Amino acid sequence: MNPRICEDSHQGNSMTLETKISELRKKIGMTQEELAERAGVTRQTVISLEAGRYNPSLFLAHKITKILKQKHIEDVFLVK
Amino acid sequence: MIGKKEWFKRRKYSGWGVVPATWQGWAYTAVMVSPLVALSFMQVNEAVPAVLVVWFLIFAADMVDIMIHVPRDEREKQHEAIAERNALWVMIVILACGVAFEVARNTAQGKTALVDPVIIIALLGALVAKAITNWYLDRNN
Repeated sequence: MNPRICEDSHQGNSMTLETKISELRKKIGMTQEELAERAGVTRQTVISLEAGRYNPSLFLAHKITKILKQKHIEDVFLVK
Repeated sequence: MIGKKEWFKRRKYSGWGVVPATWQGWAYTAVMVSPLVALSFMQVNEAVPAVLVVWFLIFAADMVDIMIHVPRDEREKQHEAIAERNALWVMIVILACGVAFEVARNTAQGKTALVDPVIIIALLGALVAKAITNWYLDRNN
C-alpha cells in the first residue's frame, strides 16, 4: 500500500509528510475507532490523518507511533 | 457541575456554543429548559421570578462550564480557531464599513460625524482581546 501524503509549504520550501497509519493499523488488526479512542482524538481526525489531509502535532505523532507498535516516528511519519 | 461535557459537542454550523451529542445531553437540556419555559408562563406569586432567575443562572453557569470543557482534539481545536478567526474578520470588516458609512453619511449631511459608541467599544474590545491573547501566548507557548 502506498503511503499517504500531506503537503505543507513554509517560506517557499515545500515539504511533504507521508504517513503509513492505515497500513500499520490494518497490520495489527486495529479499527479507526480503536485508534481514535487510544490516541484521544475523534475518528474523523484518524480519517484525515490516513487520508493525508491533516498534519499532526509531534505529540500526537509520537502517541500514534507507540499505539501502532513502532519504535520511531519515522516508521509512521516521514517528512520529505 | 450538573451536566457532563461528554454529552455535548461544539456547535459548528449554526452559531456558537454547544449542542447535545447524546440522549443524556438532550435529556439534560429538556430538564433544565422546561421549568424555565413553564415558569415563565406562570404568574403564581412573587417567588416565581426569583426561582426562575436562580434556575437560569445555574443553567447558564453550567452551560458556560460545558462550553469551555467540551472535548476537542487538536485538529478540532485548529478548525475552531480558524473558523473563529474568519468569523471575527467578517465581523470587523462589517463593523468598520458601518463606521465608515456612518461618518461619510453624517459628513455629507453636514452633521457631526458621530458613530455609535457600541461599535467603537466592540472594535476596541476585540483589539484588547487580541493583544492580551498574543501577550499571553508569547510568554506561555
